[in-house]
Amino acid sequence: MSGRIHPAVVSAQPFQLPERDPDAPLFDTEAGKERVEMVLSRYPDKRAATLPLIAYVQELRGWVSPEAMVEVAEQLDLTPAYVRSVATFYTMYNKHPVGKYLIQVCTNISCHLNRAEEVLERFLEETGTLEGETTEDGRYTVIEAECLGACGFATVVQIDNEYYENVSPEKVPEILRGLE
Amino acid sequence: MAYPHDHELEVRTLLSRHMGDPKARDLETWRRYGGYEALKQAVEMDPDEITTVVKDSGLRGRGGAGFPTGMKWSFMPKDDGQQHYLCCNADESEPGAFKDREILRWTPHLLIEGCLIAARAIRAEHAYIYVRGEYFPYTRILNAAVVEAYEAGIIGEKVMGSKWSCDITVHIGAGAYIAGEETGLMSSLMGGRAEPWIKPPFPAQAGVFGKPTTVNNVETLAAVPMILSNGADWYRQWGTEKSAGTKLWCCSGHLVRPGNYELALGVPLGEIIHDVCGGPPNGKKVKAVIPGGSSTALLTADELECVTTYEGLAEAGSSLGTASPIVMDEDTNIVAAIRRIAEFYAHESCGQCVQCREGTSWIAKILRRIERGDGQPDDIDTLYHMCEQMTGRTICVLADSVVFPLKSSLDKFLGEYEALMPRSGVVAGA
Amino acid sequence: MVSLTVDGIEVRVEPGTPVIEAAARAGVSVPHYCYHPGIPTRPAQCRMCLVEVEGQPKLQPSCVLASGDGMVIHTTSEVAEEARKSVIEFLLINHPLDCPICDAAGQCNLQDYAFETRQLASRFHDEKLVLGRDRVADDILYFGDRCIICTRCVRFMSDVAGDDALIVAQRGHKAYIDTFPGRDLDHPFRGNIVDVCPVGALVHEDFLFKARAWDLDRAPSVCSGCSTGCNVTLDVKENQIVRLKPRYNPDVNSYWMCDYGRKHLVMSNRGARAEVPLVREGDRLTPASWEVALDRAAEGLSASSGGAAVVSPHACNESLFYFRRLLDRVGIEGGSFRVDQGDTATLEGFPKLQLRADRAPNVSGAEGLGFSRADEWAAVSGGALLVLQDTLADAPAELVDGRSFFLFLGSRLSPLARRADVVLPVATFAEMDGTFANFEGRVQRFQQALTPPGMARPAWMALSALLARLGDGDGTITEARDAFAALAAATASFDGLDWDAIGFRGVARDTATVGEGA
Repeated sequence: MSGRIHPAVVSAQPFQLPERDPDAPLFDTEAGKERVEMVLSRYPDKRAATLPLIAYVQELRGWVSPEAMVEVAEQLDLTPAYVRSVATFYTMYNKHPVGKYLIQVCTNISCHLNRAEEVLERFLEETGTLEGETTEDGRYTVIEAECLGACGFATVVQIDNEYYENVSPEKVPEILRGLE
Repeated sequence: MAYPHDHELEVRTLLSRHMGDPKARDLETWRRYGGYEALKQAVEMDPDEITTVVKDSGLRGRGGAGFPTGMKWSFMPKDDGQQHYLCCNADESEPGAFKDREILRWTPHLLIEGCLIAARAIRAEHAYIYVRGEYFPYTRILNAAVVEAYEAGIIGEKVMGSKWSCDITVHIGAGAYIAGEETGLMSSLMGGRAEPWIKPPFPAQAGVFGKPTTVNNVETLAAVPMILSNGADWYRQWGTEKSAGTKLWCCSGHLVRPGNYELALGVPLGEIIHDVCGGPPNGKKVKAVIPGGSSTALLTADELECVTTYEGLAEAGSSLGTASPIVMDEDTNIVAAIRRIAEFYAHESCGQCVQCREGTSWIAKILRRIERGDGQPDDIDTLYHMCEQMTGRTICVLADSVVFPLKSSLDKFLGEYEALMPRSGVVAGA
Repeated sequence: MVSLTVDGIEVRVEPGTPVIEAAARAGVSVPHYCYHPGIPTRPAQCRMCLVEVEGQPKLQPSCVLASGDGMVIHTTSEVAEEARKSVIEFLLINHPLDCPICDAAGQCNLQDYAFETRQLASRFHDEKLVLGRDRVADDILYFGDRCIICTRCVRFMSDVAGDDALIVAQRGHKAYIDTFPGRDLDHPFRGNIVDVCPVGALVHEDFLFKARAWDLDRAPSVCSGCSTGCNVTLDVKENQIVRLKPRYNPDVNSYWMCDYGRKHLVMSNRGARAEVPLVREGDRLTPASWEVALDRAAEGLSASSGGAAVVSPHACNESLFYFRRLLDRVGIEGGSFRVDQGDTATLEGFPKLQLRADRAPNVSGAEGLGFSRADEWAAVSGGALLVLQDTLADAPAELVDGRSFFLFLGSRLSPLARRADVVLPVATFAEMDGTFANFEGRVQRFQQALTPPGMARPAWMALSALLARLGDGDGTITEARDAFAALAAATASFDGLDWDAIGFRGVARDTATVGEGA
């Protein structure tokens, strides 16, 4: 993170980034403390910081481990179990490590009508992996996604925090090359 | 379709006028375009006057339910000495809908202005904009605009130099369709699972953080500044008595020109599909259209003359929803399409209500089985029975949402289901 | 008050009363899963209690619907019954239907309602979800496949126990109940999650496969684990207590009890019991008939004057009363008892309910009958020694040394107890009727759940027989109610209390008189 984040948008930071450090310290650094304080300043209730802090964990580390859930719980005087119930409700929080590039292919209705399954298949082929699994070199995880909200531009693919629109199976190799 | 795209039916009000123009994201340009003039007016107005204008304009909620916006605002208590909140619902996730995204990414200041005017009207001093997590690139744009507006004294202490203060906080979700349901959104915003709650309490009594709250959709709020500037009558030049104004359409599926179009309410659906969007590619015919996003009843090619108003689509047996027609051409496998929609609802059910938790996944299982040719003789009856028992039985309408497309497809395309049934298994009933 | 009609029956309730509770008052039981009267949050999520309300287009969940004046409710209309039947069908699609090996069979709300709605065949042709079993506490197992996600257990922990340690993980049809990995429930009241589970998803491991519900005998009783006196039901199979369940009492324990209470009595099944009267023949104790043993005791006591008395706060009021009369007869004043001490715990959502430090059920009763709590053993040496139900396991030998006569009434024999001249084997509280007075003096009845082993009898019976031999009183008392009547008539601190009025909810005593003695 470069520069100071405005508190108004501190709970809206991208948290699926290709650059990450699975061992990054969370809340005992200056930056971590500042983040917690800033998030808390925007809500009348500590619990409201649960999602923003889980997201912060993922922003730094790329996934949310049980140990990290304990740390979030400690910050907010919640139980680790509570944090887990929240974290497991939301699909974007990775409960397991994922590849550097998390490729999400929407196959929902509008994309389904526009060859989305073929696009998904092509991504799996090109990366040589299975749906939901990560390539051995840790570069790619390809998953089938629900509607990404860009249906007029089917098939829609999200790679980490970026959108790729009007993706046809033929465009897949080029997209992957662009990630290199 | 990329901007600009001009069709004679399109109306480019402030809602869409600057889409495609990246400069509109900057405060300076936005001000040159007339931005924040309505807010200047609003901060000097009595909150109830603002509500009256919006009430008179006939603006209805654009998030799908179509509840009259001014009336919703008028439910908020007065002089109760409590903090009030505005929640802007930017958790756009209805399959087929992608209109709020356009507002977030092209005209974030329009949304900010709408939020502040609405907050003023409902006497809130804090607005949360809850954006779906996947929208990182657009949240980034919104964030920049919010920071800019704070720095310019538009948000925060003494809005536009007035005596009134109001904060805005951008808050992002993390992959849960149900967070787009208003009580689900508030559950999520309070740091919980996005589980809808049973009303009462209504949001205007005890909403987010237990305080009176109004939840409004992005497009609804984005329509507010121009209504305030130009007046209720101006807005009513478009649409009908019950469906006033313009609407951002999201057209997807099998179309030559899919995309977003701002249109006056009331254009016949067929014209939108064929004239505006060019119909299905390669000269194919339309087989079916789901007119208002995936949770609305499907219409056949013969039913497209209906007018696109709240009442017009209701008469046609469907609903306007988020005005997001999903067009399926003549080659479409209806069972596969409905199966894909059912899988979505099974994936997104929060799991509280039994009918929804169990029913959505059961429907998806049956449809998958029928699709691969393993239908059982009683499957169709079972699907119909579930349609009946999943309508109006649950806390929120997610269960109803799978019923609309499913039941209408059974009613209108039963032959497609039957054709997939094994020969020996004669389909009973229906 | 508002008046509403439920299935044609008019009922008047406080405005705002949930319709499900108003219906209960009209004698109409509305099936439900997620609603539990003792758990404050009402998510209305199981959709089982939907009822038809005239004038409203949709069925309404009666657990949260507030009673209004003039409401007309139908719980058995066709549409309401269809909806309920449908919920059962939905719940059963992924259910393993393993009733033959499920501990809840016979007292399972899913089984009952499925049977009532006659859903014996399934239209579900697909593969069921399989979750398997998991552990949520060192003594509680979770059978995910049986779970209907009513979240009563989760809400008991968060709303009543005040510990968000049990959660719903995942969502939709993948949802299940879980703890945080490596952090099993350790709350001292966690066992209640098993009781609130309407199906067989949460099971106490020590009860697993132990008994079928229909093989159990049940008796209303009072927990003897501490001085709170939680109202409980003793579940008995083959004359063994297999488990305790809390019994609702809004003045004592609401719907709950602690895990210590649950366990200590089941443990008390173990160990050798004193089953026959014993009399001393030289340096040996030999079995005797009650006649002979009582004669010998009467003889020994007639020849004694003064001495010391030791009682147990586990003895019931009736036994303590007749023991007191016997002491009067022998000329022994006072008498002492010891109370085992333990850690305390409070149930946050019902703070009156505590596991109290005094690990005995009748401290207040013993005090009311003139016995005093003492750390030291009998101060008086010489004369007779009379012991009621204290095992003497921790007593010093000097207590017994130099006594003219030593009468022991108890259910277990410690080495020191074996030095008695006469041993009278007595029933434990689970083996007889009687009363305890809890920490605030509330007098509560318990009912016999077990047959006493061998020749053991209630102490009050044995004592009344012994007193008769000494020329005192009413002859042998064979009914606890008569023993209690004699006690109430003769004892200031029990004045005016009536056996029937006490019932199984107990009666609060005027605490001002507690401890004034007999």
